[in-house]
Amino acid sequence: MSLEEPEPDEGVIEAAEEVGVTTDGLDYDELAELVGDRLLDREEHVNAEGFVVRPDEVQDVLFDLRDEAGFDHLSCVTAQEYDDRYESIYHLKKYDDPTQELSVVVPSPTDDPRNESANPVYRTADWHEREAYDLVGIEYDDHPDLRRILLPETWQGHPLSQDFDGEEPQIVTLREHANPLQEDHRADDADTMFVNIGPHHPATHGVLHIETVLDGEQVADLEPDIGYLHRCEEQMCQQGTYRHQIMPYPDRWDYISAGILNEWAYARAAEDLADIEVPEYARVVRTMSAELCRIAAHMLAAGTFALDVIGDFTATFMYAVQQRERVQDILEDLTGQRLMFNYLRLGGVAWDVPEPREEFFEKTRDYLDDLPENVREFHNLLTSNEIMQLRTVDTGVLPPEEARSYGATGPVARGSGIDYDLRRDDPYGHYDQLDWDVVTEDGCDNYSRLLVRLREVEQSARIIEQCVDLLEDWPEEDRETQANVPRTLRPDPDTEVYRAVEAAKGELGIYIRSDGTDKPARFKIRSPCFSNLQTLPVMSEGEYIPDMIASLGSLDIVLGEVDR
Amino acid sequence: MSAVAPVAAPLQSAPLPGTIAELLGLDPDAPAVLFVLAFLAAGAVISVLMGMTAVLGIWGKRKITAAFTDRIAVNRHGPYGLLIIPADAVRLLSKELIVPAQVDRPAWDLAPLVIASSALLGFAVIPMGNGVQIADPETGLAFVFATASIASLGLVMAGYASNNKFSFLGGLRAVAQNLAYEIPLVLTGASVVIFTGTLQMSGVVEAQQAALVSLGPVDIPSWFAFVNPFAFVLFMVANLAEVGRNPFDIPEAPTEIVAGYQTEYSSVYFVLIYLGEFIHIFLGGAIVATLFLGGPSGPVLPGIVWFFAKMIAVYLFTQWARSAVPRLRIDQLIQIGWKGMLVLSFANLVLTAVIVGVIQA
Repeated sequence: MSLEEPEPDEGVIEAAEEVGVTTDGLDYDELAELVGDRLLDREEHVNAEGFVVRPDEVQDVLFDLRDEAGFDHLSCVTAQEYDDRYESIYHLKKYDDPTQELSVVVPSPTDDPRNESANPVYRTADWHEREAYDLVGIEYDDHPDLRRILLPETWQGHPLSQDFDGEEPQIVTLREHANPLQEDHRADDADTMFVNIGPHHPATHGVLHIETVLDGEQVADLEPDIGYLHRCEEQMCQQGTYRHQIMPYPDRWDYISAGILNEWAYARAAEDLADIEVPEYARVVRTMSAELCRIAAHMLAAGTFALDVIGDFTATFMYAVQQRERVQDILEDLTGQRLMFNYLRLGGVAWDVPEPREEFFEKTRDYLDDLPENVREFHNLLTSNEIMQLRTVDTGVLPPEEARSYGATGPVARGSGIDYDLRRDDPYGHYDQLDWDVVTEDGCDNYSRLLVRLREVEQSARIIEQCVDLLEDWPEEDRETQANVPRTLRPDPDTEVYRAVEAAKGELGIYIRSDGTDKPARFKIRSPCFSNLQTLPVMSEGEYIPDMIASLGSLDIVLGEVDR
Repeated sequence: MSAVAPVAAPLQSAPLPGTIAELLGLDPDAPAVLFVLAFLAAGAVISVLMGMTAVLGIWGKRKITAAFTDRIAVNRHGPYGLLIIPADAVRLLSKELIVPAQVDRPAWDLAPLVIASSALLGFAVIPMGNGVQIADPETGLAFVFATASIASLGLVMAGYASNNKFSFLGGLRAVAQNLAYEIPLVLTGASVVIFTGTLQMSGVVEAQQAALVSLGPVDIPSWFAFVNPFAFVLFMVANLAEVGRNPFDIPEAPTEIVAGYQTEYSSVYFVLIYLGEFIHIFLGGAIVATLFLGGPSGPVLPGIVWFFAKMIAVYLFTQWARSAVPRLRIDQLIQIGWKGMLVLSFANLVLTAVIVGVIQA
């Protein structure tokens, strides 16, 4: 698999099958015909067209778009309130070609904000719509379980709706709180046991609460309960100016070394919104630093996964942290920071690689030279270990159809054999000029996901090596790290954009709507971990507790990004 | 009292209380004297073991794990960080003892005592060389296995009485695991007894003193690890499961069930469980040393040094496994125990019996 994918003949066959696909992209008129008179209006977004449909025909339209037009990926659901209406936007994509995008815009009246749920069409809508209900206050008919997801059950009001008064204290009577010391209650003939795994538990990698029903050692039912780390990131971004005040926040979503990858998500969306062209030199620097972050993030993922399976802070974990440490040293040289990099700027990067340049490149090269040997050590310790294989092969199985329906992306999708990588399929930065491969594994199990991460580290190393070569030979007078960007950005009012990049855990998307001021009117984060975590019940129901823990580890979630 | 009278090299003399009595000029056959002196001897052995646990469990464990994982570990508390031992002891003992609501007392209070004392009890019959052996009954080996198994009872008590679901799961896992591994362990031990013809620990040691083969000037002794390496490997694996270290640390499994049966224990009770675990590992090492590695025998150095060296070597092996090997799943462990180890240990027992029978005939 190289950058030439997808194979041309394959593309032709699919183009013939799917409505609205022409040789040079999407034909929105043909799609509009498919939707027919259910289409109320057509909007122009920066990334795609928006089809406005009636709130009671959402399922119908989405079914047609999925089955006839091939939109099999519901990337994100954005909800927002205008002065005169509420709006849900379903951002649709295709796993085969994510550049083919379509937004389905569903307005609903202010006095009764409700529309049909997309849950029967895309399983991933379950959590996304719960979040929309929780934060904005839109009700979704036909949703199986419309409860709050990020905020406490007892929260009053919807914080991103316009009439929400943040000053008003949240008064919750004691009676309404769930009693943590409540007596165990069970049905008379039940032989299952309810266990709270988390929010404080050694294997939850943060504050995740998994309500688990056990049948002996096996998981009969489980439900992840998230929101313990909700820090109002979207709200905070809406209060910052585009130019400088938003960029530090992405570092704090997936805070496991993936900072620059996250920053790029915001940079890409905002640059498309304000029509900023990034100089080529800066694009190469971005590509290099982002892949360094990916190595660090994947190393920690492999380490913590090993920790979950092995069970102690053992050799594999420490070796992984050592590898990450070396990448962090390089990143520290480059950005001045070890965790919260804040290195990208709209239109470029903060500064050039540090002087003396040779020293920096040599350090990076040294690391890359040692990397194959170190990765081999991981294969010795982990993937070729017989007990490890006994534990991870064929456990936590996530079939590709389920993965698509739940909107899984990143190593989780690629471990299920879905050949989907935005770096190749929706190119940005300098990726399309470089020679590297997208890694997929067909096992669909915990082992495949581990293998994908370890192999992706090698691919990242290839990318960095080529970037270093390019940067080294770059003529001194052409080293342009920053485009000319106005001091204050005020994009045209009512411009909407949804852009995603391939972050460490998968597709990290940002939706921004501008209102003519220097701050976004709506800032929505599509977190890959949020969607990936939804697959946990599919992977672990019927499995043993240890396999459930291993599956959770193989999803590699970061609660900072799940809860935002 | 000693049935096997050593003539050439008196590795094993009379048990410790009798020796002390003779040294003090008291009558070694008077029950009252023996009773008191046995307490003294036991106290001495326990003190040594406690000291070992303090050094190896608090300081050594850190240093060993650090060596396996490329770290340094404690180095700021006195020379080589050794003062971490008193510091940790004070820290652990001065913590609040939290008794959760609705724990099942006194079972909850007794469990740590049972876990710690059962392991100590086993050392009563272990010959440590230079005459250090508190008692040498004819049923020595059976006694060791019996007392070591009492620990399982402690684990169930702890798991069941804690009123905590993680503890409960840990307790159940401990029972399932010990059932699956105790039988192969004892059966493999029994294959040694077929060689020695006696359960008495001093007899077992004595039977391993003859030279197996002579390579020039060096005699390879007939330690059972050399005579029957297959049984030795089986026993080492079963022993890992018995003491609950990777890949068999399933009853504790920190990433799955928090800390298993010890989740609710703090302060002194936690210390007792921790102590019990380490002494259990040492007891496992002592049994391996006695059954398979010739007990206290070895060249040049005194027997007791050899004995402790062998015991610590087995301890190092468990730490190595802990640092490097992934954990099995409980059902896989049960499968290996009942379908693999049990069959192999029976095969070993039958084969040994046949071979010994042929030789003797």
